[in-house]
Amino acid sequence: MTKTKKKPVSVAKAARTTIFYVFVVGVVVALLLPLYFIVSLSFLSTREAYEYPLPMVPALNTQFKLEYGKRGYLLSVYDRVEGGFETVLDTKELQKMSDYMKYQLATPMTLEDIEQQIAKLEEMQDVVYFTRRRNLLSNYQSFFGVAGSEAVPALIRSLQICALTIIISLSIGGMAGYAFARYAFKGKDLLKFSVLFVRMFPGVAIAIPMIKILVGLNFYDKPIGLSLVYSIGNIALTVWITASIFMGIPESLEEAAQVFGASKARSFLRITLPLALPGLAAAAMYSFLGAWNETVSAIILTQFNPTFAVIVYQTVLGAVGQVNLAAAGGMAMALPAVIFTFFIRRYIRQMWGGVTI
Amino acid sequence: MGMAAIARRNGRNWKSIAKGATPYLLVLPVILYYAAFWLRPVLSSIIASFTGAAGQFTLDNFALVFREENFVAAVKNTAIIVVFSVTLEFLAALFLALLINRKFKGSGIFLFMAMIPMALPSAAAGAMWITGLTAHGWLNSLLGYLGILAEGKKIYWLVGSNAKLLATLIILDAWQVIPSVMIILLAGLQNIQEEMREAGYVFGGNYLHVLRKITLPLLKPTITTAVILRMISAIQIWLIVVLLLGFSRLPVLVERVVFYTKEVDQLYIADQMAAGYTLVVAAIVSLAALAYLQVSGAFKREKEQLT
Repeated sequence: MTKTKKKPVSVAKAARTTIFYVFVVGVVVALLLPLYFIVSLSFLSTREAYEYPLPMVPALNTQFKLEYGKRGYLLSVYDRVEGGFETVLDTKELQKMSDYMKYQLATPMTLEDIEQQIAKLEEMQDVVYFTRRRNLLSNYQSFFGVAGSEAVPALIRSLQICALTIIISLSIGGMAGYAFARYAFKGKDLLKFSVLFVRMFPGVAIAIPMIKILVGLNFYDKPIGLSLVYSIGNIALTVWITASIFMGIPESLEEAAQVFGASKARSFLRITLPLALPGLAAAAMYSFLGAWNETVSAIILTQFNPTFAVIVYQTVLGAVGQVNLAAAGGMAMALPAVIFTFFIRRYIRQMWGGVTI
Repeated sequence: MGMAAIARRNGRNWKSIAKGATPYLLVLPVILYYAAFWLRPVLSSIIASFTGAAGQFTLDNFALVFREENFVAAVKNTAIIVVFSVTLEFLAALFLALLINRKFKGSGIFLFMAMIPMALPSAAAGAMWITGLTAHGWLNSLLGYLGILAEGKKIYWLVGSNAKLLATLIILDAWQVIPSVMIILLAGLQNIQEEMREAGYVFGGNYLHVLRKITLPLLKPTITTAVILRMISAIQIWLIVVLLLGFSRLPVLVERVVFYTKEVDQLYIADQMAAGYTLVVAAIVSLAALAYLQVSGAFKREKEQLT
């Protein structure tokens, strides 16, 4: 009796839960589908990247077919989309063949290996089939190695800029954020609206006169110069975020410490700061995201020392013939940002819960 | 003895002065920083917009801007993008925030996934959409595999009427921007005490009732914050437009600023054009922001809090 009564309820509930999760998965797919393709593209070989329709999954292996051709040896590769072998090369030069395999197919083969296959062909058959493993990281290697010898120094510069931006905005913005959370003072609202003010003027327009200022300080085209510019928007945000974080820590804790004779500074350092540390770390990561991803001012404010974002931007713009390379650059750039996002997600309430307009 | 007393009294005075001054001292670095690195470039930008080629005071720059062939189109396109993208992004973000706030199993991971587009650098996002939307891109490939697009047929996403291009841009922009609106709304939702909503259910309200009568009114300051931040940056959209369509195909306001600073900087009136456009954009952003704050009642709330 009880069983029959209970069952329909749980079925209805299960159905509702299922529909709910199907729906959630649908949202996730819509959000992540474009990302899937850029990730997949970053693993494709150049040949695959220019096929239509594009392969939906990068191949792990390349299947070759070797025959005699008019000019030498006829090399064909298996095309997963068309479902058959397609001739790509007819040549006698083994070096050319090896280069094609490496750069177009991302399947490096040594000359000896190729010679062996040719020996097999000459020995016995009209045709030889063989499969070699693809180098999946080939685009990443060429982005950082051959094509982008600038990429590594730019990466280091970007990291320096991010560190400096975090230091500047967290120290300056954090102090103001603390004042905002703990004191009532004149002009408090002005501070609150500063987030809006600094955004009202287009960043591009600030970057131009900034060149003169930075040249005057001898900071132009240097990491410190860019971090000073990035900090403009970042400080305002950090004031909000740190104010929220400090608001979330009861003032009574500090007061209790002062009752026991601790100075204001000491009670802050010993009580509030350790409690605020995780939130502040999240705020630092948030600043990192801003500085790491910033592209526009970096394009204007760098000359010979581009940031990583600028290198990626240039690869994207000049991507004729190497969209897969641009995709790899973009992904290399997105990776640290995504990792930090993973940590930040728990601190959303601490970061944004306190201050509103 | 007397000296010590004076010293003590001075010390006490200093202490009380220091106490009143503490917040100002804490805020001082921000003020100095903004004076040096924000106000200075902004002022020189404003001065530049009133300066002619010979260095004299003039209003010609604005006349040049208003007479530029793309000015009307830029204003119109920007307005359309702002209205539709802010609306779409706000609704989608609110929906996502409400969903995540229900704290179902896996909501933490769902939140992370929903935040990923925010982490993607604009250059990477540009690469993603370019490779997706060309006729040979992954979007058409996918539609082909799914059988939605007949074999040999292609949809030309980046060609066609302005309305179609605007719609495409608004959707792409939304994909990247929704997370940053969502996290602000989510923080606001998490701040609302559960008891408030529970009370609504106790009195017989259903989900939509509680949402409309309790949750949204309590969320209003957060909504104002999220919408105004979003609106300010939506007016300044340009990078995705240029990455996808190039300059001058679909002019928007800040795209004009960049066009005259970077693209045609050899042109003799380029500097004046850029300066003029800059001030026009800043004026439009400020007016729109003020108007929104006025309409949403943020200023009124401010006064209530003070009294």
